[in-house]
Amino acid sequence: MDMKIKEKITFFFTSGRNVFSFFLRLGLKTKKTKIFYLISFLPVLMSLIIKFSQVFSNGRQIEGTFIFSNMIMVFYLQFLILILALFFGTSVCSEEVEGKTLTYLVTRPIPKPAFILGKYSAYTLIVILMVAVGVIFSFVILNVDNLLDFSRYKILLRYMAVLTLGILCYSSFFMFIGTFLKRSILFGLIFSFGWENVVQYFPGSTQRFAIVHYLKSLLPPSSGGRFSFLLFRLEPSSPGMSIFMLLLITGIFLVLSCVVFSLKEYILDD
Amino acid sequence: MPIIETKNLSKWYGNVLGLSDVTLQIESGITGLLGPNGAGKSTFLRLITGQLKPNIGTVKIKGKKVRNNYSLFSIIGFCPEQDCFYDELTGWQFLTNLLKLHNFSNDEAERKAQEALEIVELSDDKNRVIRSYSKGMRQRLKFAQVIAHDPEIMILDEPLNGLDPLGRRKIIRLIKTYQREGKTIIVSSHVLPEIEAMTKKIILIHQGKIFAQGNIHYIRDLIDTHPHIISIKCSHPRELASKFIHENYVLKVHFAIASNSLLVETNNRDKFFSQLPSVLIENNIKVDEITSPDDNLQAVFDYLIGK
Repeated sequence: MDMKIKEKITFFFTSGRNVFSFFLRLGLKTKKTKIFYLISFLPVLMSLIIKFSQVFSNGRQIEGTFIFSNMIMVFYLQFLILILALFFGTSVCSEEVEGKTLTYLVTRPIPKPAFILGKYSAYTLIVILMVAVGVIFSFVILNVDNLLDFSRYKILLRYMAVLTLGILCYSSFFMFIGTFLKRSILFGLIFSFGWENVVQYFPGSTQRFAIVHYLKSLLPPSSGGRFSFLLFRLEPSSPGMSIFMLLLITGIFLVLSCVVFSLKEYILDD
Repeated sequence: MPIIETKNLSKWYGNVLGLSDVTLQIESGITGLLGPNGAGKSTFLRLITGQLKPNIGTVKIKGKKVRNNYSLFSIIGFCPEQDCFYDELTGWQFLTNLLKLHNFSNDEAERKAQEALEIVELSDDKNRVIRSYSKGMRQRLKFAQVIAHDPEIMILDEPLNGLDPLGRRKIIRLIKTYQREGKTIIVSSHVLPEIEAMTKKIILIHQGKIFAQGNIHYIRDLIDTHPHIISIKCSHPRELASKFIHENYVLKVHFAIASNSLLVETNNRDKFFSQLPSVLIENNIKVDEITSPDDNLQAVFDYLIGK
């Protein structure tokens, strides 16, 4: 490979890494992160309440994995990862424009795509950590009697992988929205709780236009539980196809975000 | 070869004209960009740093196009006008992180940040969060991020805003030091004496157009033909008026009895101010306030363009 191209690639990755570490540190300190950390702990609180009520009641004990699956379906997949990806994804660009701090970044010797990818990676990692902490705690609390049953950890890993893919995919989409729309949050809310919530229940191949379709296709077959109506009309795509589609969508929106951010002019209002 | 070169540079925001047909060549040394608020100074500085796209025209720095040419920014330092920061960070974290974006190693970034903070006298407060900084400290921190990576070209948008007189003098002295090191510095301001204290090369900008350009004496002469009104709030306004009324550079004197103040209209502001202290001392007149209500660039520009 030509030395110059090699140097450019190295420079690009070094710049991206520097942006990543800057925004990872910064992202962990913001009020927004602290508030969302609290929200992501709601299922842990719920798990504790359920467990305590099970301990102190003499009624029929509900299987921990069953409750855990429902929690993932209702709270994480349909709500939390969407909200987290929306607020963190759109803010990759929009918080710099609204806070007028963009000027410090675009007057540094870093390629604009390196900034986008670096900050996206930092914020995505923060969101994954937030979700993972809540999921793991909930899992441990709900399965405290069966922690030595290692087959249950497979389920935990599978759910975590699905949620991670969801976060990567939604965040890249919302980041793209944030790079060119001023009211990206509003659009994002409409997309999350309008489009995604409706299109996934359409029959036939139309449901494949919703990201959540691919995420649900990756869930274990028994994951519906009491909330099996959420899998209503799901005509699952194959796991390979689902993973491919989620990665493809992520990649497309990452590239589009880089292109828009490089070409668009951001006017910082005085 | 000029360091910064613009050709027919024009920018508008919808129907609002930001900058119109600006062709300039800026060489090393300090160049003052002077104009009233809304004249187009910030637009010009954002265009030459590639933050905005010109509608018409070109910008080149050292012969290279600026927009999306990230490698140029290793030799440019930019101080924005807005008071914007990552408020959750400390001054130290802010500076070291920005330096790391220049690909400096941790040690190098820390060394450079420490040097810059010492220069702007913020090293004692470096571990405080920026949110707790005063306006002046924030302004000095903005200046620190300009100088920290030792750029060849410094572009400073109203760098003296919010600084106390002592802070202003220090920054002006610093800017002059960098000029002696051979750097190219563009400073914008809407306050003539600030620019005057730094450089003789100035560009007057008004309503998005370059109004005049050249040596400060030429522009000073233009401006000096404009009468200035000076308001003095003091213990004995009538006595003070009697001492000046016969001077040929004093055109009119008015009284505002209710506020115990005197309005003096002069066509030689410098001479008036050189005489004022001795008159005040000799006559034992106590002064509460001296302001110059007319001394804003807008009034001067309006006068010069014959409004």
